[in-house]
Order: sequence, then structure tokens, then C-alpha cells
Amino acid sequence: MSTEPVIQVEKVTKWFGDVVAVSEISFTLGLGVTALLGPNGAGKSTMLRLLCGLTRPSQGTVRVLGEKPHDNPGLYRRIGLVPQQEAMFESMSGRRFVELAATLHGLPSPREAAERALGVVELDPNDKRPVRAYSKGMRQRVKVAQAIVHDPEVVVLDEPLEGLDPRQRLHLINLFRRLGDEGRCVLVSSHVLDEVERFGSRVLVLSNGRMAAEGDFHDIRELMDDRPHRVRVRTDRPHDLAGALLTSRSVMGARVEGDEIVVVDTVDASALRLAVAPAAKAAKAHLFEVVPLDDDLESVFRYLVGR
Amino acid sequence: MSTLYRLFLSNLASRGRVVGLLALGMLAVVVGWAIGMSDTADPLDDGTTMVANLGLALIAPVVTLVLSSAVLGDPNEDGTLVYLWLRPVARWQLATAATAAALTVALPIVVVPLAIAAALTGGGGELVTGTMAACAIAVVGYGGLFTWLGLRIKRAMPWGLAYILVWEGFIARAGDGTEALSIRSHTVSVLSRLADGPRSMWESTMSTGVLVPVLAGLVAIYFTSRRLQLQDVA
Repeated sequence: MSTEPVIQVEKVTKWFGDVVAVSEISFTLGLGVTALLGPNGAGKSTMLRLLCGLTRPSQGTVRVLGEKPHDNPGLYRRIGLVPQQEAMFESMSGRRFVELAATLHGLPSPREAAERALGVVELDPNDKRPVRAYSKGMRQRVKVAQAIVHDPEVVVLDEPLEGLDPRQRLHLINLFRRLGDEGRCVLVSSHVLDEVERFGSRVLVLSNGRMAAEGDFHDIRELMDDRPHRVRVRTDRPHDLAGALLTSRSVMGARVEGDEIVVVDTVDASALRLAVAPAAKAAKAHLFEVVPLDDDLESVFRYLVGR
Repeated sequence: MSTLYRLFLSNLASRGRVVGLLALGMLAVVVGWAIGMSDTADPLDDGTTMVANLGLALIAPVVTLVLSSAVLGDPNEDGTLVYLWLRPVARWQLATAATAAALTVALPIVVVPLAIAAALTGGGGELVTGTMAACAIAVVGYGGLFTWLGLRIKRAMPWGLAYILVWEGFIARAGDGTEALSIRSHTVSVLSRLADGPRSMWESTMSTGVLVPVLAGLVAIYFTSRRLQLQDVA
């Protein structure tokens, strides 16, 4: 595989009025699948729009295949985009929609190209229904088909798995990996951590418009698992339980709140899970509830940004 | 470009929209018929006034506004413009195809009812010819202008209506300087000259009356192309 960067982003900042959507972001991408991970509002869609030339950076430079993408129709022959928005040309059939893309790309046989692309995403090219009658999953696959109909070198997909059932997700994930293996640069955005794990090994993590982490997925996953966790334990003897928990090596600190709550900080959530019940037994305390307070993706990203 | 043209055409020509706009044209037909049936009306004078005040001041700009502001404005607002924008297509082709599609739908909706209305007044063949020519020129001028407006600003309808009422209907009639910048004034001149009807206070020559609105439409297509080059796409 070539190591030449296909996408180069250098100190890119984009603001809309007073709102900074992405700030000082730099990265390069080569061939293969890269996941762009981040919570909603992190700046993922803005980043993808910058890469496709749908908007210009306020500062910094974006280069795709060596060219600036904004107002560069010649480059659009080499880029395919699955946008996030729902709207499509609703009265068209899926085949007509993809054929339109093929025609505008100047392909010699738009109909055949459309049928081929629809076949790749497992849709029936002879389905005459308008796309407004399609299920969410079918619509997503039509959007993928129009993005790959012209066999682009760069494929950019904005949350393409949203609304799909597990079988459809698996199929599209395999398709993205295949596109990457065939020598394309594929960038897929998602806000679902477990989903990203299946795309491939390279990940860019965005949070609050900044690059929170970048690199191999497994390294980042490890980093996420190693971060401090906070767990709330509800018990009838909070002081005794807190004392017992503090003897565990996995516990960094414990704080009693009110008559029933102990908030525990740990660097090893798994070890804490194993330590809670013995500690409760030792303290002769009843456990009513054990709840992680920061296990959501947002807090993971906050940690990565604040690291 | 023909693919884009057909796409815009099919997006615009929904049955509800066309019927609604035709109903506006029918208003002119009813008024034309009433003038024709009246014993006291002067068919040529009253017919020309009706076409100028109802057709060229209201029906032509409003119908063209509804259609032209939607042709790129709707895909821009609902996000489908990206499926046209992110293709190796020159921006002037997008702008021209969109404007042409809007004109294709607007022209018959404006010209046919008003020509029928002019005929029903009994003002003669010259009034009908003048009506058709003036309306067609008005649609071309407004078509380019409102296509640009639909792309340039969200909720283009109220702004377009404000332009029609305030600029075309009020400010542009304040004096020779402003009338020369009014599509309506030029098309009324064309109507008056061709129909040989009553002359307005301000009149352009025949060639100016034709050229200025058409030129305005062409310049607006250029600005629409520029806008497509420069703007952000959702």
C-alpha cells in the first residue's frame, strides 16, 4: 500500500459566526479505512464537509489528492460523499437517483454503473418505488451507492450506519473495509465507539472541535479503559463501606454523600466491580445500587481532551 | 446540462404548485372577461391597464418568484443540493439549468392566462401580442433575479414579495431614475408600444424595454453561478 498521504489537513480551524466548529486540527490520511469518532456536536460533520470542499476552512489548509477541495469540480470526480442529511430526491427510484449521480459524473453507461453500485449495496435495481417509500436502511444504502458509483479514490461517509439494523451494519462495515482494501482512502464518521472498532485500526477522535486522540484504535481503547472511573454505590452503611473499599488497591478515593451514597474513584473499573461485594460483606453493609457515573461516551471524550 | 434541467423541471412542476399558480392567472381571465362584457369600458385602454396593473405588477412577478426562488432555494435548504454540487459540473451549468427550468414552468402559467385575459377584453390582436411579449420578458428578467434570491437567502418569498411591492410597486415609480431600474416599468413600456395603448409617464424605447429585463436576468444567472462557487453547502 502507498504511504503517500491522500488527505492532508494542516492547522484547520472553522468557525461559523461566533461558534468555533473545529479548531487547529491537523492530520494526514493514507489509503485504507479510518474512523472519525466523536460525540454529537464534536465537529465531525464540519470536518468531513471541509474535506469535500462543501465549506472552506477559516484558517489552515485542506488538501485532498494534492488539491484544495473547495470549488474544485474536477476533484469531485475522485471523491464520493455520503452526507448525513436525510433528504434525497424523494420522487426518484433508487436506480434513478444513483443513475443521476453517474450521469453527472460523465460515466459512459450511467444505467449499468448505477445497477452495479446498487448491487454492491445489495439493493434491487429494478425496484421502481420512489426513495420516499424506502426504509431507513435502504435509503442509507442508496446514499452509499451514489457515493461509489463513479469508483472514487476517496470515500467520505458521515454517520452511514445510523438507523441500520445489525445485519445491514455488518454488511456495510464489510463493504467499507473492502473499499479500503481495494486501495481507496475511506473515512467513516461515527459517534458509536463499538461500531468504530469494526471499521479498522486507525481512528481520529474529535471532541469539542479539537483532535482528542489519533492513532491505532486498540491503543486509544486501552487509554479509554485506563482512565479514572467514578462509581456511585448506594448502601445502608456508607462510612463503613467507604473504609472497606479504601483498602482495595483499585480504589483511588471514596467520598460519602448523605446517608446512603459513596462515590468511589478508581483506575480499574473491572477490579472495583470485583472488590465491591467483598468490601460490603466485610463492612456488613447492604448494597442497593452500583452505578458508573461516567461510562458514557461523552465522558470518555472529555477525558481524552483534558488528558 | 439537460439532465440537470430535467431534474429541476420535475422538482418544480408539482401538481399542487402549478394548479395554485394557474388559479392566480385565472383571476386575470375573470377580470379580462368582465372588461370585455362591460358596455362602458374602453377595451384597449382598460385592457392595457389591466395587463399592466394585474399581469405585470402582480401575476408575472409573483408566479416567477414562487417558482424561481424554489428551484435552487429548496434543494439548498433541504440539503439535496449536495447531490448536484459535489459533481464535476460547472457552476454556470447548474445556474443556467435551474433558471431555464423555472422559466419553462413559469412562462406558460403567466403568458397563457394573461393572453386569454387580454383577448377577452376585446382590445384586439395587438394587445394580445403586447401582453404575451411583455409577460415573457418580465418572466425572463424576474426568473434570473429570483433564482439568485432563492439561493442567496433563506425564506426568499417574503423578501421577494417585499421587492415586488416596495421596489417595483412604489420606489421604482417615484421618478425617471428609479423607473429605469424597474423590470416592471420596462415591460409596461413594451406592452404600451406593442398594443398601442395608453402611455405611462415614463417610457423606455422598445429595444431598451426588451434588453434591460433580459440583461438583468442574464446578470442574475452570472451571480447565481458565483454564489454556487463561493457558498457553503449543507
